[in-house]
Amino acid sequence: MRSRRYGLLVSILLVSLLFLTVQTRGGGAAGAGEVVAVVLTPVQSVLVRIHRGALGIWHSYAGWKAVRTENTALRTEAERLRVEALQRAETEQENARLRRLLDLRERLPMTTVAGEVIGRESGGWVRALTVNRGRGSGVDQQTPVIVPEGLVGRVVQVRAGASVVQLINDPASTVGAVVQRTRTPGLVEGDAGGTVRFKFMARDGAQVAPGDLIVTSGLGNLFPKGLPVGRIASVEDKGSALFHFAVVAPAADFARAEEVLLLTGQTSRDVAALFGTGG
Amino acid sequence: MRLFLLLATVGGSSVAQSNVVPVFAVGGVTPDLPLVLTVLVALRRGPEVGCIVGFVAGCLQDVAGGGLIGVQALTKALAGFAMGLLVGRLWVASPLVQVPGLVMLTVAEGLARFLLLQFFHFPVSLGGLLAHVVLPQALYNGFVGAACVLIAEAAEVARRRRWV
Repeated sequence: MRSRRYGLLVSILLVSLLFLTVQTRGGGAAGAGEVVAVVLTPVQSVLVRIHRGALGIWHSYAGWKAVRTENTALRTEAERLRVEALQRAETEQENARLRRLLDLRERLPMTTVAGEVIGRESGGWVRALTVNRGRGSGVDQQTPVIVPEGLVGRVVQVRAGASVVQLINDPASTVGAVVQRTRTPGLVEGDAGGTVRFKFMARDGAQVAPGDLIVTSGLGNLFPKGLPVGRIASVEDKGSALFHFAVVAPAADFARAEEVLLLTGQTSRDVAALFGTGG
Repeated sequence: MRLFLLLATVGGSSVAQSNVVPVFAVGGVTPDLPLVLTVLVALRRGPEVGCIVGFVAGCLQDVAGGGLIGVQALTKALAGFAMGLLVGRLWVASPLVQVPGLVMLTVAEGLARFLLLQFFHFPVSLGGLLAHVVLPQALYNGFVGAACVLIAEAAEVARRRRWV
């Protein structure tokens, strides 16, 4: 056992020395190297190929993992930027709305209170907005409420910190108005379907056409004179009836109104020119 | 199967030595993976297997390195044999013996290689070789050997638990 063990060692040492001797004798260097290389090179080539393959797989995996991590980070970043862009757009829109409201407020020859819409009621029975300005802000019943486009309605209920505004398309709403071009008087009323109608136009002197602007008449001192109410969308001709009526497209977009002005003061001036209605 | 696994490990370590190990060079020093493998195999399988594994691994390294074939084959065969002989004489099962043993064996193998190469007019001084190659590599081998020993121990414990 022991002699076999040392025999193996001596054999291996001899083989190694033989390799070295053959290589160092002139011109024989290639000999031993080639003998070993003939056996080992194919093995080594295969091993290197396996190693490279494994390394390639590892690199692919590492690359995939890096791409995945990067992808997740980019998605998060994109999501954050999208939210930021939406917030910015929202802020810009709000800014523009408030600027228009402020411009109007500065032009109007009366005291006003700016309010924010905090609630809506548009079920059909009642069409109203709730505004975050009430008794404490000097708001009274019947205070007209406007947006830069025109009339929204009037306050019908005042609370300590809020007011309920009846919209002009509420079935119970009635506003004295005139057609701006022809000065034809009538009443703007809402109906159950949400349509706004201009009623009681005198048949003979009407000559009202679609597109005509309707403004408040100022009669009764409830609304200032000249507040844009809407434009005639169509005229209903009832033949021999004494009065005509017209369907009106409201100037204000009630569904989108977010900030409003409550006209707490009075004026006898015609304010139509202060609104950019083109009429 | 065992022989095939052993050959694959020897081949793999030699290939790794020339392809992968350079990536882990610290200050230009790399561990001698085939030597670590030879020592670990010799510790478990005795001097004969250690000697053969050292010879094959050394041959592969000589061929891959393009130098004199037989130098590392001889020194690593000697290292494997010597380590295998110690198994019965020292308490080599402890990592506290294995790792310093590996460091010392690396130094011894380096010295043996240097002595052998003196016959072929190797043009480097022993001091420079020891300071820049042999001793740093011995330390590196110690760390790699310690890691290998720990991994082998953990694998052994896991295997025993599975059987229990």
